[in-house]
Amino acid sequence: MRVFVRTVSELFITVGTLIVLFVVYVLFWTGVKADGVMDDQIDRLQEQWSKGAVHEPSGAGAPASAPKPAAYRYGRPFAIMYIPRLGFTWNKPVLEGTGTDVLKKGLAHYARTAGLGQEGNFAVAGHRRTYGDPFKDFPKLRSGDAVVLTDGTTWFTYLIDKGPDKTVPSDVEVIDPVPRKSGYTRPGRYLTLTTRDPEWGHSHRLIVWAHLDSTQPVEAGKPRALRR
Amino acid sequence: MGDERDGMYGWIWRNLPGNAWVKALISLVLVMAVVYVLFQFVFPWAEPLLPFNDVTVDNQ
Repeated sequence: MRVFVRTVSELFITVGTLIVLFVVYVLFWTGVKADGVMDDQIDRLQEQWSKGAVHEPSGAGAPASAPKPAAYRYGRPFAIMYIPRLGFTWNKPVLEGTGTDVLKKGLAHYARTAGLGQEGNFAVAGHRRTYGDPFKDFPKLRSGDAVVLTDGTTWFTYLIDKGPDKTVPSDVEVIDPVPRKSGYTRPGRYLTLTTRDPEWGHSHRLIVWAHLDSTQPVEAGKPRALRR
Repeated sequence: MGDERDGMYGWIWRNLPGNAWVKALISLVLVMAVVYVLFQFVFPWAEPLLPFNDVTVDNQ
C-alpha cells in the first residue's frame, strides 16, 4: 500500500513538473525564440536590400506603377511590416506561406493572394499569442490606422477601413480579392490581416481590412505614418 | 525500477556516487539535461498539437 501511494505521488509530482515546464515553454520560451528569429529575418532582409539584391526601383510613386509580382519563395522573408498603433517599435518580417513553420518566424503571407502593393488582396496571418505575440493587441486596431510595409525599394501605406471583425475559421472569403463583408465593392489594392480569437482559443478569427493609400520610394524617406 | 523503500527519486539519489554535495551537483546537471531535452526536442514536437497555430482562415 505504501509503495503504491509513493509511486503514485512521485508520478504526480513528475507530471506536474512537466506541465509547469511546458507552460513556461509555450508562454515564455517560444517568445524568446521567436524574437531572436524575427530579428534574424529582418537583419537578413536589410542585408539583402543594402546589397540591392532584390529588384531595381521601378519608378514607384503612383500605385499604378508598382513593380511586377515578385516571385516570393516559400518560407523566405520579403517585407517588413510596421503598425504604429501596436507600438512605434513594432515591426515584423513578412514571410511567404502560412505553414506552421513559417508562422514561427514572423507574419505569414497567404501564398495564393496578391503580392505587396498589387491589385487584389495582400493577406497576412500572424500569431495572437505565443511566438512573440505579434498580434496580441489586434483588437486595438481602428479604422484609419496605418499599416506600413516595405519591400526594400518602396514604402506601402495601407489604411484600415474596417476594424477587427470576428468570423469563423472556415470563412475563407475574407481574403478574397474583393473581400465580402469588408464593404469594398470594386477591385482594388487591399490588405487583410488575420489572427486568432479569443486570445487563447481558436474558435474564431479576427480580421481587419485596409486599402492601399500611398506608396513612395525608400529614397524619399519614411512615410508620414512612421514619423514620430 | 523504483526501490521498494524510497521510490524512483530516492533510488537515483542512492545510486549517485560521492558525498551529498557531489550528489546534489550531479542531480542538478541531470535536471538541467532533462529540461534541455524537453525544451529542445519534446516541447517543439508537442506544441503544434495545441491550437495556438490556428491563425489563418483556410487552415493550411
